[in-house]
Amino acid sequence: MKSQVLALSVSAALLAMGGAALAHHSFAMFDAAHPIEISGTVKEFKFVSPHTLLTVTVKGADGVAKDWILEGGAPGLQVRDGMTSKSLKPGDEIVVTINPLHSGAEGGSYAPMQVKFKDGRPVVAPK
Amino acid sequence: MLLRGMLSSIALAAVMIAGPVAAQQGVDPGKYPNMAGQWIRVGPPGSFDNTKPPGRGQQAPLTPEYQAIFEANLAEVAVGKSGDDPVHTCIPEGMPRAMSLVLPMEVVITPNTTYILMEYLSMLRRIYTDGRSFPTDEEPSWMGYSIGKWIDEDGDGRFDVFEVETRNLKNPRTFDPSGLPLHKDAETVVKERFYLDKANPDILYDQITTFDHALTKPWTIVRTMRREKKPIWVESICSEGNVHVVIGGEHYMLGGDDLLIPFYKGQPAPDLKHFQQGAK
Repeated sequence: MKSQVLALSVSAALLAMGGAALAHHSFAMFDAAHPIEISGTVKEFKFVSPHTLLTVTVKGADGVAKDWILEGGAPGLQVRDGMTSKSLKPGDEIVVTINPLHSGAEGGSYAPMQVKFKDGRPVVAPK
Repeated sequence: MLLRGMLSSIALAAVMIAGPVAAQQGVDPGKYPNMAGQWIRVGPPGSFDNTKPPGRGQQAPLTPEYQAIFEANLAEVAVGKSGDDPVHTCIPEGMPRAMSLVLPMEVVITPNTTYILMEYLSMLRRIYTDGRSFPTDEEPSWMGYSIGKWIDEDGDGRFDVFEVETRNLKNPRTFDPSGLPLHKDAETVVKERFYLDKANPDILYDQITTFDHALTKPWTIVRTMRREKKPIWVESICSEGNVHVVIGGEHYMLGGDDLLIPFYKGQPAPDLKHFQQGAK
Protein backbone atom coordinates (compact mmCIF):
# COMPACT_ATOMS: atom_id res chain seq x y z
CA MET A 1 0.00 0.00 0.00
CA LYS A 2 1.30 3.42 -0.87
CA SER A 3 2.43 5.62 1.97
CA GLN A 4 0.57 8.59 0.68
CA VAL A 5 -2.81 7.20 1.55
CA LEU A 6 -4.90 10.21 2.33
CA ALA A 7 -7.08 10.87 5.27
CA LEU A 8 -10.70 9.98 5.01
CA SER A 9 -12.71 13.04 4.39
CA VAL A 10 -16.37 12.36 4.85
CA SER A 11 -18.62 15.33 4.71
CA ALA A 12 -22.10 16.12 3.63
CA ALA A 13 -21.66 17.05 0.03
CA LEU A 14 -23.96 19.43 -1.70
CA LEU A 15 -23.28 18.09 -5.14
CA ALA A 16 -25.97 15.99 -6.70
CA MET A 17 -24.57 12.81 -8.20
CA GLY A 18 -24.84 12.16 -11.89
CA GLY A 19 -27.58 9.61 -11.43
CA ALA A 20 -28.50 9.39 -15.06
CA ALA A 21 -25.14 7.94 -15.93
CA LEU A 22 -25.61 5.20 -13.36
CA ALA A 23 -29.14 4.09 -13.76
CA HIS A 24 -29.09 0.92 -15.74
CA HIS A 25 -29.96 -1.52 -13.03
CA SER A 26 -31.44 -0.22 -9.84
CA PHE A 27 -29.04 1.78 -7.69
CA ALA A 28 -31.49 1.83 -4.81
CA MET A 29 -28.90 0.38 -2.45
CA PHE A 30 -26.90 3.59 -2.74
CA ASP A 31 -28.01 6.66 -0.81
CA ALA A 32 -28.42 9.35 -3.46
CA ALA A 33 -29.93 11.73 -0.88
CA HIS A 34 -26.78 11.82 1.24
CA PRO A 35 -23.67 11.90 -0.96
CA ILE A 36 -20.30 11.98 0.76
CA GLU A 37 -16.79 12.87 -0.32
CA ILE A 38 -13.90 10.45 0.12
CA SER A 39 -10.20 10.92 -0.55
CA GLY A 40 -7.73 8.18 -1.12
CA THR A 41 -5.47 6.25 -3.44
CA VAL A 42 -6.68 4.22 -6.38
CA LYS A 43 -5.98 0.58 -5.61
CA GLU A 44 -7.63 -0.80 -8.72
CA PHE A 45 -9.70 0.48 -11.61
CA LYS A 46 -11.57 -2.28 -13.40
CA PHE A 47 -13.18 -1.13 -16.63
CA VAL A 48 -15.57 -4.06 -16.72
CA SER A 49 -19.19 -4.88 -17.44
CA PRO A 50 -21.82 -4.52 -16.20
CA HIS A 51 -20.32 -1.62 -14.21
CA THR A 52 -16.87 -0.20 -13.86
CA LEU A 53 -15.38 -0.80 -10.41
CA LEU A 54 -13.13 1.67 -8.68
CA THR A 55 -11.40 0.50 -5.51
CA VAL A 56 -9.99 3.31 -3.41
CA THR A 57 -7.86 2.86 -0.29
CA VAL A 58 -9.01 5.38 2.26
CA LYS A 59 -7.47 6.10 5.65
CA GLY A 60 -10.06 6.77 8.31
CA ALA A 61 -9.93 9.19 11.21
CA ASP A 62 -8.71 6.28 13.36
CA GLY A 63 -5.74 5.79 11.05
CA VAL A 64 -7.01 2.50 9.71
CA ALA A 65 -6.93 2.16 5.92
CA LYS A 66 -9.88 0.47 4.26
CA ASP A 67 -10.68 -0.35 0.67
CA TRP A 68 -13.85 1.26 -0.65
CA ILE A 69 -15.48 -0.28 -3.71
CA LEU A 70 -17.27 2.17 -5.96
CA GLU A 71 -19.60 1.07 -8.71
CA GLY A 72 -19.83 3.27 -11.78
CA GLY A 73 -21.75 3.20 -15.02
CA ALA A 74 -21.45 0.63 -17.77
CA PRO A 75 -18.18 0.90 -19.71
CA GLY A 76 -20.22 1.83 -22.78
CA LEU A 77 -21.76 4.78 -20.96
CA GLN A 78 -18.50 5.95 -19.44
CA VAL A 79 -16.56 5.76 -22.70
CA ARG A 80 -19.13 8.05 -24.26
CA ASP A 81 -18.67 10.38 -21.27
CA GLY A 82 -14.93 10.49 -21.96
CA MET A 83 -13.71 8.02 -19.34
CA THR A 84 -11.65 5.04 -20.48
CA SER A 85 -9.72 2.20 -18.90
CA LYS A 86 -6.67 4.46 -18.93
CA SER A 87 -8.29 7.38 -17.09
CA LEU A 88 -7.19 6.10 -13.69
CA LYS A 89 -4.37 3.84 -12.56
CA PRO A 90 -3.24 2.36 -9.24
CA GLY A 91 -1.52 4.97 -7.13
CA ASP A 92 -3.53 7.92 -8.40
CA GLU A 93 -4.62 10.12 -5.54
CA ILE A 94 -8.23 11.17 -5.97
CA VAL A 95 -11.15 12.88 -4.33
CA VAL A 96 -14.56 11.57 -5.29
CA THR A 97 -18.11 12.38 -4.29
CA ILE A 98 -20.09 9.17 -3.97
CA ASN A 99 -23.52 7.91 -3.07
CA PRO A 100 -22.67 5.58 -0.16
CA LEU A 101 -24.26 2.24 0.61
CA HIS A 102 -27.21 2.60 2.98
CA SER A 103 -25.54 0.04 5.24
CA GLY A 104 -22.58 2.28 6.00
CA ALA A 105 -20.19 -0.35 4.65
CA GLU A 106 -17.26 0.74 2.53
CA GLY A 107 -19.02 0.94 -0.79
CA GLY A 108 -20.92 3.30 -3.00
CA SER A 109 -21.54 4.50 -6.52
CA TYR A 110 -19.66 7.13 -8.48
CA ALA A 111 -20.04 9.09 -11.69
CA PRO A 112 -17.04 10.05 -13.86
CA MET A 113 -17.77 13.76 -13.51
CA GLN A 114 -17.48 13.46 -9.72
CA VAL A 115 -13.92 12.15 -9.70
CA LYS A 116 -11.02 14.58 -9.36
CA PHE A 117 -7.31 14.18 -8.87
CA LYS A 118 -5.96 15.46 -5.56
CA ASP A 119 -4.71 18.64 -7.27
CA GLY A 120 -8.24 19.44 -8.39
CA ARG A 121 -7.99 18.38 -12.02
CA PRO A 122 -11.13 16.55 -13.18
CA VAL A 123 -10.55 13.01 -14.43
CA VAL A 124 -13.07 13.65 -17.18
CA ALA A 125 -13.25 17.03 -18.82
CA PRO A 126 -16.70 18.62 -18.46
CA LYS A 127 -18.71 18.59 -21.68
CA MET B 1 -32.12 -26.32 -43.54
CA LEU B 2 -28.65 -26.56 -42.05
CA LEU B 3 -27.17 -24.94 -45.15
CA ARG B 4 -29.73 -22.13 -45.00
CA GLY B 5 -28.88 -21.54 -41.35
CA MET B 6 -25.17 -21.45 -42.15
CA LEU B 7 -25.73 -19.02 -45.01
CA SER B 8 -27.81 -16.77 -42.76
CA SER B 9 -25.08 -16.81 -40.12
CA ILE B 10 -22.44 -16.00 -42.72
CA ALA B 11 -24.58 -13.18 -44.12
CA LEU B 12 -25.15 -11.73 -40.65
CA ALA B 13 -21.47 -11.97 -39.81
CA ALA B 14 -20.65 -10.26 -43.08
CA VAL B 15 -22.90 -7.29 -42.45
CA MET B 16 -21.65 -6.94 -38.87
CA ILE B 17 -18.07 -6.84 -40.11
CA ALA B 18 -18.78 -4.62 -43.11
CA GLY B 19 -20.73 -2.10 -41.08
CA PRO B 20 -23.95 -0.19 -41.41
CA VAL B 21 -23.72 0.68 -45.09
CA ALA B 22 -23.70 -2.99 -45.97
CA ALA B 23 -26.23 -3.78 -43.27
CA GLN B 24 -29.18 -3.34 -45.59
CA GLN B 25 -27.77 -4.60 -48.86
CA GLY B 26 -29.66 -7.82 -48.45
CA VAL B 27 -32.86 -5.97 -49.28
CA ASP B 28 -33.91 -3.49 -51.94
CA PRO B 29 -32.84 -0.08 -50.55
CA GLY B 30 -35.49 1.56 -52.69
CA LYS B 31 -38.20 -0.34 -50.88
CA TYR B 32 -37.05 -0.43 -47.27
CA PRO B 33 -36.43 2.53 -44.95
CA ASN B 34 -32.82 3.22 -44.16
CA MET B 35 -32.47 2.10 -40.55
CA ALA B 36 -28.77 1.29 -40.85
CA GLY B 37 -26.24 2.53 -38.34
CA GLN B 38 -26.04 2.99 -34.63
CA TRP B 39 -29.12 4.16 -32.75
CA ILE B 40 -28.73 5.87 -29.39
CA ARG B 41 -31.43 6.48 -26.83
CA VAL B 42 -32.78 10.02 -26.66
CA GLY B 43 -33.49 11.08 -23.08
CA PRO B 44 -32.34 9.68 -19.77
CA PRO B 45 -31.97 5.99 -18.93
CA GLY B 46 -33.57 4.45 -15.90
CA SER B 47 -37.29 4.37 -16.62
CA PHE B 48 -39.50 2.64 -19.17
CA ASP B 49 -41.23 5.80 -20.35
CA ASN B 50 -38.34 8.23 -20.18
CA THR B 51 -40.57 11.19 -20.95
CA LYS B 52 -41.99 10.81 -17.44
CA PRO B 53 -40.46 10.69 -13.97
CA PRO B 54 -39.42 7.24 -12.69
CA GLY B 55 -41.28 5.10 -10.17
CA ARG B 56 -44.86 6.18 -9.49
CA GLY B 57 -44.31 8.99 -11.98
CA GLN B 58 -44.51 6.45 -14.78
CA GLN B 59 -48.27 6.26 -14.16
CA ALA B 60 -48.34 2.67 -15.33
CA PRO B 61 -51.92 1.34 -15.41
CA LEU B 62 -51.26 -1.40 -12.87
CA THR B 63 -54.02 -3.55 -11.44
CA PRO B 64 -54.62 -3.03 -7.71
CA GLU B 65 -52.80 -6.31 -6.99
CA TYR B 66 -49.72 -5.27 -8.93
CA GLN B 67 -49.83 -1.70 -7.68
CA ALA B 68 -49.61 -3.22 -4.18
CA ILE B 69 -46.63 -5.32 -5.27
CA PHE B 70 -44.97 -2.22 -6.68
CA GLU B 71 -45.69 -0.19 -3.55
CA ALA B 72 -44.19 -2.94 -1.38
CA ASN B 73 -41.09 -2.83 -3.57
CA LEU B 74 -40.84 0.94 -3.28
CA ALA B 75 -41.20 0.65 0.50
CA GLU B 76 -38.24 -1.76 0.58
CA VAL B 77 -36.19 0.59 -1.57
CA ALA B 78 -37.04 3.43 0.81
CA VAL B 79 -35.30 1.62 3.66
CA GLY B 80 -32.21 0.92 1.62
CA LYS B 81 -32.94 -2.45 0.10
CA SER B 82 -32.21 -3.14 -3.55
CA GLY B 83 -35.75 -3.62 -4.79
CA ASP B 84 -37.06 -5.93 -7.48
CA ASP B 85 -34.62 -5.66 -10.34
CA PRO B 86 -33.50 -9.02 -11.75
CA VAL B 87 -30.83 -7.37 -13.88
CA HIS B 88 -28.66 -7.07 -10.76
CA THR B 89 -27.60 -10.66 -11.21
CA CYS B 90 -27.03 -10.38 -14.96
CA ILE B 91 -30.48 -11.56 -15.97
CA PRO B 92 -31.06 -9.88 -19.36
CA GLU B 93 -33.61 -7.09 -19.37
CA GLY B 94 -35.88 -8.89 -21.83
CA MET B 95 -38.83 -7.35 -23.59
CA PRO B 96 -40.14 -4.72 -23.51
CA ARG B 97 -37.50 -3.22 -21.16
CA ALA B 98 -34.63 -3.92 -23.56
CA MET B 99 -35.97 -1.24 -25.88
CA SER B 100 -35.16 1.34 -23.20
CA LEU B 101 -31.71 1.15 -24.76
CA VAL B 102 -29.32 1.69 -21.89
CA LEU B 103 -26.67 1.42 -24.61
CA PRO B 104 -27.02 1.73 -28.41
CA MET B 105 -28.42 -0.76 -30.90
CA GLU B 106 -27.98 -1.60 -34.56
CA VAL B 107 -30.72 -2.70 -36.94
CA VAL B 108 -29.83 -5.27 -39.61
CA ILE B 109 -32.52 -5.91 -42.20
CA THR B 110 -32.39 -9.08 -44.28
CA PRO B 111 -35.15 -10.46 -46.52
CA ASN B 112 -36.58 -12.93 -44.01
CA THR B 113 -35.35 -11.67 -40.65
CA THR B 114 -34.56 -8.31 -39.11
CA TYR B 115 -32.02 -8.33 -36.31
CA ILE B 116 -31.66 -5.79 -33.53
CA LEU B 117 -28.19 -6.04 -32.05
CA MET B 118 -27.98 -4.38 -28.64
CA GLU B 119 -24.71 -3.36 -27.09
CA TYR B 120 -26.03 -3.64 -23.53
CA LEU B 121 -25.67 -7.20 -22.24
CA SER B 122 -25.13 -8.29 -25.87
CA MET B 123 -28.88 -8.78 -26.21
CA LEU B 124 -30.14 -9.91 -29.63
CA ARG B 125 -33.62 -9.58 -31.07
CA ARG B 126 -34.45 -11.81 -34.03
CA ILE B 127 -37.62 -10.66 -35.79
CA TYR B 128 -38.95 -13.02 -38.44
CA THR B 129 -40.53 -11.43 -41.52
CA ASP B 130 -41.00 -14.57 -43.62
CA GLY B 131 -44.72 -14.90 -42.97
CA ARG B 132 -44.52 -17.59 -40.32
CA SER B 133 -46.93 -17.96 -37.40
CA PHE B 134 -46.04 -18.09 -33.72
CA PRO B 135 -44.86 -21.56 -32.72
CA THR B 136 -46.72 -23.48 -30.05
CA ASP B 137 -43.83 -25.48 -28.68
CA GLU B 138 -40.99 -22.94 -28.41
CA GLU B 139 -39.24 -22.54 -25.05
CA PRO B 140 -39.80 -19.05 -23.62
CA SER B 141 -36.96 -16.54 -23.61
CA TRP B 142 -36.29 -13.08 -22.23
CA MET B 143 -36.20 -11.51 -25.68
CA GLY B 144 -39.24 -13.55 -26.74
CA TYR B 145 -40.31 -14.76 -30.15
CA SER B 146 -40.86 -11.89 -32.56
CA ILE B 147 -42.70 -11.73 -35.86
CA GLY B 148 -42.57 -8.59 -37.94
CA LYS B 149 -44.27 -7.10 -40.95
CA TRP B 150 -43.14 -4.24 -43.14
CA ILE B 151 -45.95 -1.83 -43.96
CA ASP B 152 -46.35 0.71 -46.77
CA GLU B 153 -48.80 3.00 -44.98
CA ASP B 154 -48.84 5.86 -47.43
CA GLY B 155 -48.97 3.68 -50.52
CA ASP B 156 -45.90 5.14 -52.19
CA GLY B 157 -44.37 1.74 -52.88
CA ARG B 158 -41.88 2.04 -50.05
CA PHE B 159 -42.15 0.53 -46.57
CA ASP B 160 -42.36 3.14 -43.84
CA VAL B 161 -43.46 1.23 -40.74
CA PHE B 162 -42.14 -1.99 -39.22
CA GLU B 163 -44.75 -3.68 -37.05
CA VAL B 164 -43.48 -6.27 -34.61
CA GLU B 165 -45.28 -8.56 -32.22
CA THR B 166 -43.38 -10.38 -29.47
CA ARG B 167 -44.67 -13.29 -27.40
CA ASN B 168 -43.40 -16.28 -25.46
CA LEU B 169 -41.45 -14.31 -22.89
CA LYS B 170 -39.66 -15.56 -19.82
CA ASN B 171 -39.53 -14.23 -16.28
CA PRO B 172 -38.22 -12.59 -14.19
CA ARG B 173 -38.68 -9.25 -15.96
CA THR B 174 -39.64 -5.76 -14.87
CA PHE B 175 -40.48 -2.70 -16.94
CA ASP B 176 -37.51 -0.81 -15.55
CA PRO B 177 -34.95 -0.68 -12.71
CA SER B 178 -37.49 0.70 -10.24
CA GLY B 179 -39.10 -2.74 -10.07
CA LEU B 180 -42.22 -1.71 -11.99
CA PRO B 181 -43.72 -5.18 -12.30
CA LEU B 182 -44.95 -7.38 -15.11
CA HIS B 183 -47.27 -10.27 -14.30
CA LYS B 184 -45.78 -13.43 -12.87
CA ASP B 185 -47.65 -15.49 -15.51
CA ALA B 186 -45.18 -14.19 -18.15
CA GLU B 187 -47.97 -13.93 -20.73
CA THR B 188 -46.82 -10.50 -21.85
CA VAL B 189 -47.44 -9.54 -25.47
CA VAL B 190 -45.54 -6.59 -26.89
CA LYS B 191 -46.61 -4.82 -30.08
CA GLU B 192 -44.30 -2.26 -31.64
CA ARG B 193 -44.28 0.15 -34.53
CA PHE B 194 -40.86 1.34 -35.70
CA TYR B 195 -40.78 4.34 -38.01
CA LEU B 196 -38.40 7.10 -39.03
CA ASP B 197 -39.23 10.73 -38.40
CA LYS B 198 -40.64 12.10 -41.66
CA ALA B 199 -38.72 15.37 -41.30
CA ASN B 200 -35.51 13.89 -39.91
CA PRO B 201 -34.54 10.37 -41.03
CA ASP B 202 -31.86 10.27 -38.32
CA ILE B 203 -34.60 9.99 -35.70
CA LEU B 204 -36.21 6.60 -35.13
CA TYR B 205 -39.32 5.99 -33.04
CA ASP B 206 -40.47 2.80 -31.40
CA GLN B 207 -44.08 2.91 -30.29
CA ILE B 208 -44.38 0.13 -27.72
CA THR B 209 -47.70 -1.23 -26.52
CA THR B 210 -47.52 -3.76 -23.72
CA PHE B 211 -50.35 -6.17 -23.04
CA ASP B 212 -49.89 -7.80 -19.63
CA HIS B 213 -52.14 -9.13 -16.90
CA ALA B 214 -50.45 -6.78 -14.39
CA LEU B 215 -52.07 -3.92 -16.32
CA THR B 216 -55.68 -2.80 -16.39
CA LYS B 217 -55.31 -1.84 -20.05
CA PRO B 218 -52.61 -1.90 -22.75
CA TRP B 219 -49.84 0.59 -21.97
CA THR B 220 -48.42 2.53 -24.90
CA ILE B 221 -45.25 4.58 -24.80
CA VAL B 222 -42.93 5.95 -27.50
CA ARG B 223 -39.16 5.62 -27.29
CA THR B 224 -37.01 7.91 -29.42
CA MET B 225 -33.57 7.13 -30.83
CA ARG B 226 -31.07 9.16 -32.82
CA ARG B 227 -28.61 7.90 -35.44
CA GLU B 228 -25.00 8.33 -34.34
CA LYS B 229 -22.77 9.40 -37.22
CA LYS B 230 -19.51 8.38 -35.54
CA PRO B 231 -20.42 5.21 -33.70
CA ILE B 232 -18.27 3.38 -31.25
CA TRP B 233 -19.18 -0.02 -29.86
CA VAL B 234 -18.19 -1.34 -26.45
CA GLU B 235 -18.45 -4.99 -25.48
CA SER B 236 -20.91 -5.68 -22.64
CA ILE B 237 -20.49 -9.06 -20.96
CA CYS B 238 -22.32 -8.87 -17.65
CA SER B 239 -20.56 -11.69 -15.83
CA GLU B 240 -17.18 -10.01 -16.34
CA GLY B 241 -17.28 -7.89 -13.23
CA ASN B 242 -20.67 -8.18 -11.56
CA VAL B 243 -20.34 -7.64 -7.81
CA HIS B 244 -23.98 -8.20 -6.95
CA VAL B 245 -24.83 -11.47 -5.24
CA VAL B 246 -28.16 -12.87 -4.07
CA ILE B 247 -27.96 -15.49 -1.29
CA GLY B 248 -31.05 -16.85 0.39
CA GLY B 249 -33.11 -14.07 -1.13
CA GLU B 250 -30.85 -11.38 0.32
CA HIS B 251 -28.92 -9.07 -1.97
CA TYR B 252 -25.27 -8.43 -1.09
CA MET B 253 -22.32 -6.81 -2.80
CA LEU B 254 -18.68 -7.84 -3.02
CA GLY B 255 -16.49 -5.27 -1.32
CA GLY B 256 -13.04 -3.96 -2.09
CA ASP B 257 -11.57 -7.02 -0.39
CA ASP B 258 -13.77 -9.39 -2.46
CA LEU B 259 -15.82 -10.29 0.62
CA LEU B 260 -19.53 -9.69 1.07
CA ILE B 261 -20.66 -6.34 2.38
CA PRO B 262 -24.23 -5.51 3.48
CA PHE B 263 -26.63 -3.34 1.53
CA TYR B 264 -28.65 -1.96 4.38
CA LYS B 265 -28.25 -1.42 8.09
CA GLY B 266 -28.96 -4.54 10.10
CA GLN B 267 -28.85 -6.88 7.10
CA PRO B 268 -28.31 -10.46 8.34
CA ALA B 269 -25.23 -12.35 7.19
CA PRO B 270 -25.79 -15.31 4.84
CA ASP B 271 -26.68 -18.65 6.39
CA LEU B 272 -23.47 -20.73 6.41
CA LYS B 273 -25.01 -23.95 7.71
CA HIS B 274 -23.48 -25.96 4.87
CA PHE B 275 -19.97 -24.92 5.89
CA GLN B 276 -18.02 -26.47 8.73
CA GLN B 277 -17.91 -23.76 11.35
CA GLY B 278 -14.42 -22.58 12.22
CA ALA B 279 -12.86 -24.34 9.21
CA LYS B 280 -10.21 -22.45 7.33
